[in-house]
Amino acid sequence: MDTLFRLVSLQSSDQQSSFKSSRTSSSSRSSKANHHLFHQPFQNREEEKYREECGNNYHVCVDEDFSSSSSSKHLQPHPSTAATPTPSTAATTTTASTAHVLFELADFSFPPDLNIDFASSSSAAAGGGGGGWAAQLLLECARAVAARDSQRVQQLMWMLNELASPYGDTEQKVASYFLQALFARLTSAGPRTLLTLAAASDRTCSFDSTRRTALRFQELSPWSSFGHVAANGAILESFLDAAGGGGSPQPQRLHILDLSNTFCTQWPTLLEALATRSSDDTPHLSITTVVSSASPSAAVQRVMKEIGQRMEKFARLMGVPFKFNVIHHAGDLSELDLDRLDLREGGGALLAVNCVNALHSVSPAGSRRDLFINALRRLQPLIVTVVEEESDLQAASGGDGGGEEGEEGFLKVFRESLRFFSAYFDSLEESFPRTSNERLALERAAGRAVVDLVACPAAESAERRETAAGWSLRMRAAGFAPAAFSEDVADDVRALLRRYREGWSMRSAGEADDPGGAAPGIFLAWKDQPVVWASAWKP
Amino acid sequence: MFPSGTMSNSTSMSEEASVSSDTRAHDYNNSMGSLCTPISPPYHQQQQQEPQPKAKKKRSQPGNPEKNILLVLAIDPDAEVIALSPKTLMATNRFVCEICNKGFQRDQNLQLHRRGHNLPWKLRQRSSKEGVRKRVYVCPESSCIHHHPSRALGDLTGIKKHYSRKHGEKKWKCEKCSKRYAVHSDWKAHVKTCGTREYRCDCGTLFSRKDSFITHRAFCDALAEESARLMAATTDAAAATAMTTSISHPLLHHPLFLPFSSCDYLPNPNPNPNCNTSPYQVKPHNPLPSLLHHLPTTISPYLSATMHPLPTTRSATISTAAGGQMGSSMFDAGDPSAWQRSDRLTRDFLGAAAGDTGEEGLLSLTGALGLDLVTAASCDRGDHAKHFVGFPPVTGTWGDC
Repeated sequence: MDTLFRLVSLQSSDQQSSFKSSRTSSSSRSSKANHHLFHQPFQNREEEKYREECGNNYHVCVDEDFSSSSSSKHLQPHPSTAATPTPSTAATTTTASTAHVLFELADFSFPPDLNIDFASSSSAAAGGGGGGWAAQLLLECARAVAARDSQRVQQLMWMLNELASPYGDTEQKVASYFLQALFARLTSAGPRTLLTLAAASDRTCSFDSTRRTALRFQELSPWSSFGHVAANGAILESFLDAAGGGGSPQPQRLHILDLSNTFCTQWPTLLEALATRSSDDTPHLSITTVVSSASPSAAVQRVMKEIGQRMEKFARLMGVPFKFNVIHHAGDLSELDLDRLDLREGGGALLAVNCVNALHSVSPAGSRRDLFINALRRLQPLIVTVVEEESDLQAASGGDGGGEEGEEGFLKVFRESLRFFSAYFDSLEESFPRTSNERLALERAAGRAVVDLVACPAAESAERRETAAGWSLRMRAAGFAPAAFSEDVADDVRALLRRYREGWSMRSAGEADDPGGAAPGIFLAWKDQPVVWASAWKP
Repeated sequence: MFPSGTMSNSTSMSEEASVSSDTRAHDYNNSMGSLCTPISPPYHQQQQQEPQPKAKKKRSQPGNPEKNILLVLAIDPDAEVIALSPKTLMATNRFVCEICNKGFQRDQNLQLHRRGHNLPWKLRQRSSKEGVRKRVYVCPESSCIHHHPSRALGDLTGIKKHYSRKHGEKKWKCEKCSKRYAVHSDWKAHVKTCGTREYRCDCGTLFSRKDSFITHRAFCDALAEESARLMAATTDAAAATAMTTSISHPLLHHPLFLPFSSCDYLPNPNPNPNCNTSPYQVKPHNPLPSLLHHLPTTISPYLSATMHPLPTTRSATISTAAGGQMGSSMFDAGDPSAWQRSDRLTRDFLGAAAGDTGEEGLLSLTGALGLDLVTAASCDRGDHAKHFVGFPPVTGTWGDC
């Protein structure tokens, strides 16, 4: 595991095994030595117990080491350990007693009520959202965290640590990233962990790596291209209706406000469609892309600049009059002053707003989301396309979604994140080849999102997704009415899905029950679980 | 993917347009007579001075004036211009067998079918000497370009297909790419090739899917080099025409290309014979000479020297049909007002140059605008390298990707 494995006591002194470790300043990668402290006692005394309780699968797992680093260190049993802990990086500051006191057998007895079914395959789990061993263990651990049962937490985290790996199969990966997030929560190091991880990924971020990841992802999985195709179709059709019906023979101008995190990979196909539609009067297209992040990074700026250059060149090649703007906004998207952006180009252009995974990055605190959507409404756009991931990750307990979440809220968010990201990881696993740097980058990004969800306060979170129904309510409240996708667009989407592997399907959102039309738009489903929602709205 | 009304099979259209007086025209004499609204020939003759097709046309339009006029003049200057009603045009199987109710598109076919029922049948001979005039057909849709007699089509099947394609409902759809077609034969032709066509990017990667090809192309490194080479080949023309291509296109980014006019003037890379673009190869020669009027005469030899590589580089660049756009739109520069417009633009950018840091130097260079660049271009190419070597950040980002 990559993160520092530190435990803090959740309850104060009445615990026998209160174990405090001091914070080490070493980087996360040097933490393997810590595992000795936990591993040694178990190697000899507990193995038989595990064998009985858990079945062969687990036993096999214990012997192999899935962690990529320090495998040799792990498996060297030291029978007489108790007296000689190896605190190479950790300096325990426990009261007097050395490590051995902390590892009384009784304290680490395997919880008898834990009945993990390791044999169930993870693919079944992904569909059901909770069937695999990782899900079970993680949920148990989360419950223990919520109940502040530190002993149990330690036991479970130990197990998870043994089994998890970011380089293994889906179960192991899910276990690894969620464990990292739980750990960050326990040590109240959520925001800091997030910063560290973000800085680490920023170091390797470049135009080339970003491009490769994004394009490969779109080539192998319809997760992002689903939203793109639907949105492009809706935008193009509404523009043509408005421009053509308007009657003026001159080519119209279309301005797109692009709030998305997909690095403009949506637009080349739109440019091509504009170019091939009519040879005579290709409309003028301007795109204003807003990249917002809590902490602006130079790498992202460089990447966007390069993207801008390529887009312009491509537009020139296509023969589409084109203008491209990038806005780097630091802070919450709701703070962006939309009026200063000259979105209508002095009144000559029709405006379309494209929100791909942007709305959930607005903080759920207060009524920011509603305010933001209202601001969009005030722009009087021709159409607003909303593509979001389908998952209810709001900490609902507080009512306004901000501030501290109660234990209930935490468990709910945890369970939901587990379900959603299990599906995500599962789809990545089945779409990409076994070893893929691009998939690793995507998984790490998801891991950061999980840390944000599990260990960081909701008010500062940029990952609090809502369901289609939730967003629909907000959109309607702001004065938008749903615009259904035309048959052509639906056909395009279906044709798109046919180009990918099995497992993906499209579902129309408004199928069920609700006569009020709870959720317009369409869902992309992975193994029949809706994961991405695409919709279009008009004022 | 997206509604594209003009995507029709160009080869078949041009075939039909070029078909000269056909026997088929006469078969419809009797049946169609009641539905035709002949337009008097003298009107048609006035149209011979019809303005030439717009420079923007990228393929030879069916029923284009020169062809049609030539055709008609050669064959029959008194051709009858006929506008059929939409109902007629869309009708299929107008000839119905009275016995079995089977429908046929042509009377000839019906007659042959009647033989099978042992009914009297009669095959009409084409009567060419009876004073039946050659018919050309116009589209009844008034907003359509073929509504005008000068753009009439010589073939009945042609006008029927045109009407379906342009103004008809697209009932046939490809399963793979969900493209829609109004004419069954278009659809059949498409389905045969859909999915089998492979797209090759200039960087060498092969794609079977159009959308992943396009997205790749937009961000491909080969695109960067391609544009650099294009800019190199046509520095002066590009400086002028690229601005007219996208009037509001920020000139700020053009200077970024200029440094590359110095490096690696790559020889024509792919002999990627894309036969779709062969018509384009002829075109560049026409409007470019008009550019010469605007530029100092000293560089005209340079221009003519670069004209030759121009068509081939462009055809190499254009690997999608849409690429033709570039060829057509670039020639607007022949228009003097366009040239001046671009001049104004660059002068504006000079004033607005304060915004961008590393590029001010470049801007001041281009400030003297195109003319200076052109004269620079006319001299030794090595000068370019010296000019722009002072802007490593620009080249740096390019080199990295």
